[in-house]
Order: sequence, then structure tokens, then C-alpha cells
Amino acid sequence: MATDFWVSSHYLRWNVDSAVLRQARAEDIQYVDHPEYLDFLALFFAGLIAKLGKKLSLRQRVIATATVFFRRFYLKNSYCETDPFIVIAACCYVAAKAEESPVHIKNVVSEARSLFSSEATTLYSGIKTFPSDNAKLAEMEFYLVGDLECDLTVFHPYRTLMTLCWKEGSDVISEAEAGELGAGIDDGPRYWGTGEGKLEMHEGALQMAWFIINDTYRSEICLLYPPHLIAITAIYMACAIHQETRGDIEKQTQSGAYAFSGSQGSQGLTRRSSRPSSSSYKRQQPQDIVGFLAGLNVNMALIATITQEIVSLYALWDRYSEDATTDSARASLKRSASGSRPEIITPGLLIQLLWRMREARSADLSGAHSTPGRPVAVNKMLERAQAAG
Amino acid sequence: MDAVEKANADRQKRWAKDQKIGEGTYAVVYRGRELATGRKVAIKKIKVGQFKDGLDMSAIREVKYLRELKHQNVIELLDVFSSKKNLNLVLEFLDTDLELVIRDRSLVFLPADIKSWMAMTFRGLEFCHRNFILHRDLKPNNLLIAANGHLKLADFGLARDFADPGYKMTCQVITRWYRPPELLFGCRYYSTAVDIWSVGCIFAELMLRIPYLPGESDMDQLKTIFRALGTPTEEDWPGHTKLPDYVPVGQFQKTPFRDLFSAASPECLNLLSKCLIYEPRRRISAREALYHPYFTSHPHPTHPSKLPKPADKTSATLPLEELDGNAEPNGNGPGVKANPPNKLKRKLSSDELSGGGRSIARKLDFTQQRQTVQ
Ligand SMILES: Nc1ncnc2c1ncn2[C@@H]1O[C@H](COP(=O)(O)OP(=O)(O)OP(=O)(O)O)[C@@H](O)[C@H]1O
Ligand SMILES: [Mg+2]
Repeated sequence: MATDFWVSSHYLRWNVDSAVLRQARAEDIQYVDHPEYLDFLALFFAGLIAKLGKKLSLRQRVIATATVFFRRFYLKNSYCETDPFIVIAACCYVAAKAEESPVHIKNVVSEARSLFSSEATTLYSGIKTFPSDNAKLAEMEFYLVGDLECDLTVFHPYRTLMTLCWKEGSDVISEAEAGELGAGIDDGPRYWGTGEGKLEMHEGALQMAWFIINDTYRSEICLLYPPHLIAITAIYMACAIHQETRGDIEKQTQSGAYAFSGSQGSQGLTRRSSRPSSSSYKRQQPQDIVGFLAGLNVNMALIATITQEIVSLYALWDRYSEDATTDSARASLKRSASGSRPEIITPGLLIQLLWRMREARSADLSGAHSTPGRPVAVNKMLERAQAAG
Repeated sequence: MDAVEKANADRQKRWAKDQKIGEGTYAVVYRGRELATGRKVAIKKIKVGQFKDGLDMSAIREVKYLRELKHQNVIELLDVFSSKKNLNLVLEFLDTDLELVIRDRSLVFLPADIKSWMAMTFRGLEFCHRNFILHRDLKPNNLLIAANGHLKLADFGLARDFADPGYKMTCQVITRWYRPPELLFGCRYYSTAVDIWSVGCIFAELMLRIPYLPGESDMDQLKTIFRALGTPTEEDWPGHTKLPDYVPVGQFQKTPFRDLFSAASPECLNLLSKCLIYEPRRRISAREALYHPYFTSHPHPTHPSKLPKPADKTSATLPLEELDGNAEPNGNGPGVKANPPNKLKRKLSSDELSGGGRSIARKLDFTQQRQTVQ
């Protein structure tokens, strides 16, 4: 399904506003000291999906779909009442099938096991290890597809980016995403035409836009905004950040005061843009980028909002570290003067947090009969199973 | 019960499930009703079994595409809900299919009837292609017919989207008799033209009342095609000898369409021949087909409600045997679907074991605690 986003399940049923998101986290938020932790969890889980996806050799697009499934599942469920790790595995498994690159259930189980036991080893073991039985993942798949209401078609910003910007012989992207865009692209008919009405971007800028899009999946942006707007935002940001492109724009406008050339430094804003960009780009008369983007006739206020969200995501991300040396001990020592929140958030810390959230939830639900600190059994019959009879 | 379960239960309550009416590879189909209106529906229960393996690829594809596609000539998915261990698809109820109609020897087809079925097929297909979806299993048995005569494309278990071009796709799709030569030659980059070939075969079958190109094996299928349409030359189909599985299968002369379809109008044969052009790129598209003079010339297509249809489903299945010894009892014909690569195998027992409680959980288990509270 590709053409009509406006009548798609994606737009009609899964494009939500921030009130819906807030409602979805209503239970979780009771169990964290600060709402920000939920954003860190969102960041952490998306990272795990990407890691598991890489281990399973899934394309970026499939990983993106898996992440969207995960986010949609948690529009209806709470972190504290589910096991996000098995949900992550199920999301990758279903996304691979939905995107026509199925992987065997056994591989998903074994890769997930090895990944989740290597992540913050000691901490996760407290939550029981990932089940080794295919049937458990298959069962989770069933709940997942049910909660997704069988809506398995997901639109992504990548297609808009390529539609607007991809040009013949662009090797940077195909290098970065081997097999994603390069291979065979000239074998099929290109539905978007032949380069007419395209934005000529520097390869480095195009690559940067691609990475910005990847990064948006680390937050809930993919639930809040239509993918084509996210793509256009990424193009804007990439143009503003990318040195050469920015130079062109400044020359064209002689003022250099464009929307996104402001406070953020041009280096290191995107997380993964550190690859050297090809310098073999042939200089031509630069296109009027600002004019082109203005001509797309999209709501600029929305683009600015999305930009803000992405910038906040990067700010959050700067305080997150997967580096083992900054693990819990150091991180919890390094508390800011103003509050008791640690400055650097690590996976270990987040897993501990998740663990506490569960315990607290469990205690709340069991009321007076609770045994504080009693581990929650992950592998038992489910409330829903009983409700269903 | 949480909000999600309640929403699901509410959906489930809208529908009543009655007797079983059929069974496919990954689903059991029941007759059903919408309780509020009495509207007849079909409830397709996707077997999940004991969660041995995951959901079948066909099931995934079917729900993925039917959730998005809404068109008069595509089967409508009215609702989905899950019950204990099954996903249930609520589909509009469709009385019969084009295969049963074709094989019912008591029915006489007028040229206007054939035109009407073809127009509806192309409309449904044009809609799919416009949305970048290939059906990949068109055959009379998958063209279902509603009580009011409307024809609907069904069975999207092999469908896939091609919006991101340039991906290798499997050539093991489309029931053999309806499979185009490029797939038989192992072509991995193909497009909408594959469905058009199938429609061409269906078109011919509507006129002949027997399958047009009934090959007995994949190899024989090519021979059957070439015997009917002539062995393609390099000029007819540039580059076909370079396709991955190309093998020469002998030189055959084309049988003129006129000889076989003696009663057909020139426009009719012109459209048919454009559906069966060897070079996929030159084959007519669904959209172009809808503008073909065949559809605007006399006679006008029969109104759907006036189309011939079997008196009832059971009597119409009788002549099936005499058609082809190969035909499967459910009428799917031979060589049904080849397995797509990586297709996840699953063994199903149609008797689902209801014992053995669930072991994992969408949610963590707080049951015991909660029960003590409530
Ligand atoms: N919408 C419907 N209305 C009425 N009957 C239906 C409907 N859908 C399916 N059926 C009946 O249920 C049977 C099984 O359908 P299903 O689509 O599961 O499998 P199939 O297409 O026959 O086989 P396969 O799964 O191998 O393609 C059909 O043969 C038909 O008799
Ligand atoms: Mg079928």
C-alpha cells in the first residue's frame, strides 16, 4: 500500500496526538520519579530493536516497521505490566514477515536470548532470562498482531526522502545501507518518475537526512506525525547542518539567517552521521533549496514542531550512554546538584528502573496481600487468558 | 478486563459464528452474522494452533492488504478480533466464485456477461495496482461473487507490495495455469504485468469454459503456452533467453485466436491478445484495459444483478470431476501455489488442543494478586 496515506490504517487509526500518548503512559508514569525516564525507556527500547534487527540482518526499513509496531503496542499497554523484551522480539519477528523478509522463529529466539542476556548481564537475569521456547514468541506474536488490530502496513519517511532527493549514482546512501537502496533499483520502474521535481542534495546531506530519520524512531515521533512531514523535516535539518549545503544556501540568500542554521552546531548533531562523506561531488549551479522546500506546500509550523521534537530527542540522547564504563555505579554517583536524578542514564539503570516499576505495579495490584519485593513471574498464565476463558 | 480486552470483546460481540463452510491452508471459514443487522458474513478463523510456529506468511499478507484495500471489486474485511487462540477475520459473505460459474454447464454466457466479469476484474485489479499491490494468485477460484452479482478479488495470501522497486521477488507465485512465461523463466524482478497475464487466461477461460493453458508441469506449462501463442522470437520478447531459468522448449506456431475463439468480437480478441503479450513491459496495464474499446463497444456489459449464477453452490460443484483428473477436490486446480522461499512451514492440526494453559503473557502475571483483591 503506497499511494494513499490519507485513507490508510496508518493515518486513520495510528496517527495519534500527544494526549493519547500521555494516556497510554498513565500507568507507567505513576512508577517513575520523573516523566523523562519514560522517554529514556523509549530511547532504550528502540535501540534494542535496532540491535536485534541488525543481528537478524533486517533492512533499516524492517527495523523501522518493528519499532512502529512496538510503539503502537505500547499505546495500548504499559511497560510495567508487560515484558518489553519479548515484545521487542515479537515486533522484529512480525515486521520481518510483514515486510516480506521473514526470518525463522528459532533465529529470533536465539538472537534475542543472546542479545538480552549480554545487555546489562547481571541486571536482566533478575527478570528471568528470555524464554528459549518458540511457542512463547509465537504466542506473543499472536497478542501483538491482535493489539495491532492486524494493521501491518506502515508508511515510513524513507520513501519520501528518496522520492524527493534520490538521484542516479548516489553511492553514499547505498554504501551506508547496503542493499537498501542501491542494489537493483534501476531494474524496476521508478514510480516517482525520472528526476523531475527532485531536490539535488549533496550526498553528505542526503545521508545525514537518512540518519536523522533513523534517529526519529528512538522517540515517539513516528506515532505523532505523518511520515512525509518527518522526511521533509529531516531534509530541512540536514540542509541546515550540512556544511556545504549551508554554504550554498547562505550564498543564495546572502543573509544566512535561515530557520535551522541557528544554535545547534553543525557537527555531531546526528548520532550516526560521522561517516566521511564522499568528496567527489561535482559542483554545479546549486539549486534553490529553500525555494524547493517552500514549494512543497507543507505546514511550516508543523515542520518547526517536528524539528523541535528531534532537537529535544538529541538533547535527551546526549545524556544517555551505553558505554559500559559509565555504568550504573558511576552514573548514580554523578547526580546533579539540583535534583536526585542522575546525569547520565545507562541501560543498566533503565533495566533497574523497569524492574522497580514492575514490582511497584505488582504490589499495587495485590494491595494488602502483597509481599513487597516478591519477584513477578513472567512465565505464567496471563490475566487476559483467563478473561478470555 | 483492561481497555484493550474490552474493545476486543465489544468487537467480538458484534458477530455471531454459525456453521463451518470451508477450510483453506491456514484458516477455517464459518458462516456468520452481524447481530445488529442480521447481515450475512464469513468469519475466517486463522489457526494459531499451539503456537508451535508463528503466523503463516499467507495469513500475514492477507490481513496486511485487506486491512487497507477498500473497493467495490475487492473482498471487504469488515472487522478483526481475537478469541482464545485465534485471529478472526470478518469478511463480507460471498455466495460463489467464478470457477463454479464457469464450470456450471447449465449456465449460458452471453458476450455481455463475459464483458461484465472482465470489467469488474480489471477494476479491482486496477485498484490494487494503483496502490502498488500485486495480487499474484489470480484465477477463477479467487474471484468471488456476491449475491448481487458483484465480482471481488479475494485471497491476498500471496500478494505483496512493490512500492519500493528493485527488490528481488520470488517467481514461485501464481497457480501454474495462470502463471506468465517470465515467471516460468525465473524472472525475479517483475511487476503488474504478471497479474495481467493471469487475467488474460481467465478471459480466455470465460469464452472456452475450460482452462485455456492447462500445463501439466512447470515445463509443460511453457510448452502449452508456446503451442497456443507461438514460441516467442527475440523480437517478440527481447532478452528473454537471458532470463535465469531460460530453457528452449521447442518451436511452435501460433494458433490464430480466431480459430479458437470463433464467436468473439475483434475488440474482444484485441484486448485478449494485449493481455497475453510475451514482453511484460508491452502487456496492457489494468488502467489501459479499462479504456480499451472492448468495454465501450456493443454489447454493453451485463448489469451484475443479471449475470448468470449457479442455482446453489453444491449442485454446481458436480461437473468438476470431468474437467481434469488433476483438479483438487476444492477446485483449486493443480500446481496450486508453489511455496515462496522462506515460507514458514507450519504443521497444523485442525483440532486445536485447548488443554495446556498459556505460558507467556502479553501482560505480566498479576492474576493471583488481583484475584485476591476482587
Ligand atoms: N467471503 C467468503 N464468503 C463465503 N465463503 C467463503 C468466503 N471466504 C472463503 N469462503 C469459503 O471457505 C473456503 C476456504 O477459504 P480460504 O480462503 O480459507 O481457502 P482457499 O482459498 O479455498 O484455499 P487456500 O487457503 O489454499 O487458498 C472457500 O473455499 C470458500 O468455500
Ligand atoms: Mg483461495
